[in-house]
Amino acid sequence: MTDPVILLQILWTGIAMSSYFVLFTVAFALTLKVEKLWNFAQAGLMGIAFYAMFYTLNAAHWPPWLGVGAAVVLTALVSVAVEVWAIAVLRRRHSSGLIFFIFTLIFSQLVAFVLTLMFGTEPETIFPSVMSPVRIIGGVAVSDWDLQAIGVTLALLAVLYWLIRHTRDGQFMLAVADNDKLAEIYGISAKRAYLLSGIVAAVLICAGVYLYGTRAGVTPDVPIGLVLTAVIATLVGGLGRIFSAAIAAVGLALMQSFSILFIPAKWQALLLYFVLFFALVLFPRGIPVWRIRRAKPLAPVPVTQAGG
Amino acid sequence: MTASIGRRTALSLPLAALAVSAGRARAQQKEPFRFGALMPTTGPEAGYGLDFVKTYEMAVKDINDKGGVNGHPLEMLVLDTQAKPEIAINAANKLIDVDKVPLIITAWSSVVKAAAPIGNRTKTLELNMGANSPDIANLGDYVYTVFPLAEVDVTALAKYTYAKLGKKRAAVLYINNDTGIGGAKIYRDVFTAAGGEVVAFEGYDPKATDFTGVLLKARVGNPDVVHIHGLSELPQVIAQMRQLGMQQQITSYSAGYNPKILSQLGPAAEGLIVTSLAPTSAANPNVAKLLELWKQVGRFPNGLPYLQYAWDSTVVVAQIYGWVDKNGLPLTGENCRKALLAIREFDLPMTGKLVIKDDHRIDKPVYLYVVKDNKFVLLDTVA
Repeated sequence: MTDPVILLQILWTGIAMSSYFVLFTVAFALTLKVEKLWNFAQAGLMGIAFYAMFYTLNAAHWPPWLGVGAAVVLTALVSVAVEVWAIAVLRRRHSSGLIFFIFTLIFSQLVAFVLTLMFGTEPETIFPSVMSPVRIIGGVAVSDWDLQAIGVTLALLAVLYWLIRHTRDGQFMLAVADNDKLAEIYGISAKRAYLLSGIVAAVLICAGVYLYGTRAGVTPDVPIGLVLTAVIATLVGGLGRIFSAAIAAVGLALMQSFSILFIPAKWQALLLYFVLFFALVLFPRGIPVWRIRRAKPLAPVPVTQAGG
Repeated sequence: MTASIGRRTALSLPLAALAVSAGRARAQQKEPFRFGALMPTTGPEAGYGLDFVKTYEMAVKDINDKGGVNGHPLEMLVLDTQAKPEIAINAANKLIDVDKVPLIITAWSSVVKAAAPIGNRTKTLELNMGANSPDIANLGDYVYTVFPLAEVDVTALAKYTYAKLGKKRAAVLYINNDTGIGGAKIYRDVFTAAGGEVVAFEGYDPKATDFTGVLLKARVGNPDVVHIHGLSELPQVIAQMRQLGMQQQITSYSAGYNPKILSQLGPAAEGLIVTSLAPTSAANPNVAKLLELWKQVGRFPNGLPYLQYAWDSTVVVAQIYGWVDKNGLPLTGENCRKALLAIREFDLPMTGKLVIKDDHRIDKPVYLYVVKDNKFVLLDTVA
């Protein structure tokens, strides 16, 4: 098992498989950062996104771009509706964090039950076939799905980075994330920032669901488990650190993949929960390795020199 | 070919119809004989569970249309288990304590095991009709199986793989639950006893979606056959195995005899060998009748061989109840067990002869299928 080709294969497949994990984590971490909301309703959005794609592509036989596009639009609309008609209402009532948590969890369970009634509980995939063309590069199997997964994830993360760093709306989201009351005093609409973060999260969720559903079977109760893994990565990455959470997601996926070298495969899933347990007990604000210190601001120039 | 009806036949038809309707009327008048069924009607295994329930309904209707059990209509109460033991325990308690059924049909190994102590304690007969964990034979006096346990088909498959296919090095991969662990151990032991070498023996988490590590561990052992003892994730395991460039012969058990595998894998399924424990419609015309009934549902059912056992288990229930009633005994679990052991040999319409052995096991012929041109083709029959 220590053959370099095998190690490379585990590394490559681990990175590819972490793609949807990263997308779900970033979606969760973004909502948590901007809205201060542990948004378990994202499991419901995952279910809606998956079955929208499944229905439009398998039953209605729409072209893939149209089916996926329709799923993105539907998921974003549901995200907006939940924000406007539920979350915003709870916010106006100054509801406690526990009420938000319970609401989002109930929303996801409700969606899961409705989807069960509509589509049944047999595992389904977005396309009838789960096969993907493969090429062997240096002894490592590289499938089209791997390339697609890594490419889509990197592209979306780049767009998100650009959105946050280089657009006014992105900076407004950060301002609201830092202090929503202060942001509103400066004329920034917190409501708009919440809606935007929800829409961006919906897009990330759709991409993640597409990648997951083209590789593995999905049932209406699968998304809850996927959100839990996103929560673990968010906690390990550190609350409020979106891209650190993404790196944590890759790290956790690779840790699971490489654990096969040391432990039986049947224990792999347990590792995540060990990490979560220790992270919560020892590092409740995230593992320090992710806390990249910002550069210290330059010391004020002495007046004498300035005058000099 | 046109069928011609003779005068005697023509005269007898209304009489037969009258007899059936009279029987049905009698069956509707007498107190119903009820039995329970613990099946996953929701959750990941519902694809099979719902089709089992549909088949029970068909069988119950068929029995009642023919006059029921000594004139008593047969009635089935189904409770959902999601194939989870904790839910099965609640459901079994309800069927026994509230609905007072003397007999319960179950499937899925973990569910059969979970319900077993309740059946033994309350003296309620539990009949397994679809689970194959070898442990089922040792679950107590009130737990019997009408479905062959894993040792029947997995033993036949492991021996066949070594002796007939000439495979000497096997990797055994299994889902880490009762079904997978039990079946995989039997395959390993039988293959080794036959003279083969098991070069990898790895279980994977039931919720896993990435099987790369497990498959690479298998690849390191350089096997010439990979036996996968899985459930609904089986297509994903095979797909990832082929995508890793592993071209070894793949075998699986009766869960692999599923048309969905063919559509999900396409050409990657070619050569896959699976087992089945029931004859096809070509060998048994009654199976064709079952398929006709399913045509009315509008689709091909999941796991046809299992459905044949589902039908036959209903017939077994009817015969047990008939024996108890005929002997003037109250319909209790104790008397149902007594009836099962007194009848012992059942001639069943879908799967043939069933003999209940003292060790709580049964024997059946094993049908081996291979995927050829995206179809399951009979490879061999192991008696």
